Amino acid sequence: MYGATEPDRQDLFQEIVIQLWRSYPGFRGDALFSTWLYRIALNTAISGLRKQRRVGPSIDPDQLSIPMQDMQYVNDKEEQLQQLYAAIDRLTEVEKALTMLYLEDKSYQEMEEILGISQNNLRVKMNRIKEKLRKMTKEAAYGIR
Amino acid sequence: MELDNLKTIWKEQETLAPVTDPEHLAWLLQMKSRGPIARMRRNLRVEALLMVITYIPTIIAYLVLFAGRLSLISLFLFVVLCFYAVYFYRKDRLLIKMQCVTCEVRSNLAGQVKALRKYIRFYIWSGTLVILIAMVVACCTIRYAMQLKSMPIHWWFEPPFLLAILTPFAIGLLHLNKWYASKLYGLHIEKLDAMLHEMDED
Repeated sequence: MYGATEPDRQDLFQEIVIQLWRSYPGFRGDALFSTWLYRIALNTAISGLRKQRRVGPSIDPDQLSIPMQDMQYVNDKEEQLQQLYAAIDRLTEVEKALTMLYLEDKSYQEMEEILGISQNNLRVKMNRIKEKLRKMTKEAAYGIR
Repeated sequence: MELDNLKTIWKEQETLAPVTDPEHLAWLLQMKSRGPIARMRRNLRVEALLMVITYIPTIIAYLVLFAGRLSLISLFLFVVLCFYAVYFYRKDRLLIKMQCVTCEVRSNLAGQVKALRKYIRFYIWSGTLVILIAMVVACCTIRYAMQLKSMPIHWWFEPPFLLAILTPFAIGLLHLNKWYASKLYGLHIEKLDAMLHEMDED
């Protein structure tokens, strides 16, 4: 979800592992371990890496539009996943963070503890993201640009 | 496809993901952090080390050589080195404050923006001041040495003239530093600000 290319993602993974390792002695158990872990991962992903390799989008935009004759593959999980990933890739960093936590099945309370955004605000944002993704995948599936 | 439908696929993918090799993790932990703050701190340490390596032998050389006649230059270099020590220490403290990876994402971003603004302000002012202080101390040292040797002090070495020269120079330097700081950190701070704004808006 974060990182435009495979090397970027590897760099990010490495950075998260290092930050987790360094921060672990300070973990006092005030929050859930998963909350603590997601905070580190998202803080590193969102604001940590300043410069990323920019060699183009991670998924070819042409993959977004699927010709009508290939519609039978649309139901294929991998294909759908690619479409949705491509759409998620176009979200902002904050929206990506929310989407990831949503996919990880985190409650709004835990999302609030991780992100520091009120639950009401999170619900509003999540609905907007869902709508945005719905629109983007629809556009991609029917080749609307 | 709806985002809700992806949850199931996402969980399936999660279970299929390979478990990371402990040896690979150990190898990763041996590597240096490539985050911007870690890199900035490393660069700062290298800069500080270079200053010490170049200044200390020079200070000692001026103290020992020429039968101590040029020890004033040692003093001048020592003053500049002390100023740089404070400069590096303050910069390092600000860099440490700049990241709180275990904090909530929003408060980490807000803290980062605040610390980065302070850092930029410090960068601009200290960058300007350090050159001005070095120039003023150099002028004072030369003037003092000339007085000691009872040499005539020219009109262009009088304080009003030096002030007239240094003032526009200082203003130009300040703007140059502002431009450079904005080139270095401008985009990053804009990005952080935009994210913070996005998090706050309803």
